[in-house]
Amino acid sequence: MALVIMVAYYVLCAFLAGILFWNFIREKESREGLWLSLLVMVPLVLRLLRVK
Amino acid sequence: MAPMRHERAAKALLLAAIAALLVLGGVPLYRHRHFALPIVSGPGVTRITRLGDFCPSLKGTAGDTTVYILEGREPGGKALLMSGTHANEPAGLLADIIIVENAVVDQGTLYVIPSFNNSAGRNTRPGDGYPLYFDIPTDWGRKRFPMGNRDASPLDQWPDPDVYVHYPDRQLLSYIDARNSNRTWPGRPDGFLMERVTFAAMELMRREQVDVAVDLHGAETMFPVTNCIVAPEKSSKIAILATLTVKAAEGFDSHVEPSPPGFRGLSHREIGDHSGAAPFLLEAPIPFLDQPTGPKSVKLLLDGKDPFLLSLAGKKKLFVPYDASGWPMDKRVGQHLSVMLEILRQYSKKTPGRELIVKGVPRYADVVKNGAGRYLHDPAKADPRSVVTD
Repeated sequence: MALVIMVAYYVLCAFLAGILFWNFIREKESREGLWLSLLVMVPLVLRLLRVK
Repeated sequence: MAPMRHERAAKALLLAAIAALLVLGGVPLYRHRHFALPIVSGPGVTRITRLGDFCPSLKGTAGDTTVYILEGREPGGKALLMSGTHANEPAGLLADIIIVENAVVDQGTLYVIPSFNNSAGRNTRPGDGYPLYFDIPTDWGRKRFPMGNRDASPLDQWPDPDVYVHYPDRQLLSYIDARNSNRTWPGRPDGFLMERVTFAAMELMRREQVDVAVDLHGAETMFPVTNCIVAPEKSSKIAILATLTVKAAEGFDSHVEPSPPGFRGLSHREIGDHSGAAPFLLEAPIPFLDQPTGPKSVKLLLDGKDPFLLSLAGKKKLFVPYDASGWPMDKRVGQHLSVMLEILRQYSKKTPGRELIVKGVPRYADVVKNGAGRYLHDPAKADPRSVVTD
């Protein structure tokens, strides 16, 4: 069961990171929006890379 | 919201900044997690095995770890020496490495596991500003050790439960203690990683008929259970004799604390209840872990000197004597070694036929005088076949 949750968590991480990156690409107006998208991505990317 | 004039350039710049942040922050953590600590198998090591050999479901995981076996020329008693249960209490790790690199067993057998919670040894606590490494000066240079954390890495054991239900007693414990290998004894072979680690150690003790189990720790100076031997009923006589002897012969305190029967999952309770071994948990004071200190620096870890603790000592808020000399690493390592040796000696005296006679290990006064580094061997000059990296 723990393994299933672990895999689901990584899928969720990848999905959220993808959404955030897509928001980053599509953002045209706000520099703050760009920063926020990228900063929120940091822990997700670190987790996907199994760094921390 | 500030409109962007040069959208593509701004995005490229931001991506580069975040990538730099990821690399600068991530690479040191990655290196720390994969740091290889070389240990020189000394003249007393006769066999090396893995904890996973006692629990197949542990093999190949981040919880598996090296077990050094030191067999005497004559049969006798058997002792398991563990450190790194809490990898942010590194005096025990140094003490066990000194035993692996120097001890010679005349009678009986020692099983030594220096990095008991191998995953915690590769974890850190960045929110508390923990250093990733610390260096011990030796006669041949500085030997680098990774500084770990109390709990296993969430990369190795996840998800955390909302409430940790201890097996088999079903006592409710904090969720974080599911990754604390001193709350998961006696463990089970199909449980989560820390339960498999402790189950493997229990299997080692049951199959090898281990007599004595010593678990090395460190505790805050403001915590009442510090500078002591925690022992259940079956170990208390030997613990008392050991504490009296080190006080009389070596001049340092290490009192005895009873292991509470109602607090489950701890080595000093479950090992005795689930095997024939007599458990002992040794606590040496480690000012680094106290909350009201200055920065959590390598210096504080090694010399144990802190002005805030000194002030609190003046107000009698600490549970150990504390002055400007701090509570240095060498003192803590020396205490662990002497108390361990004394437990083995007292057990041998009380149990004819199961003696444990160990030579070549420095005691408290030796380590305080010469430094722990004097007893660490240079892996570069050792026979490569005797160097183990975990």
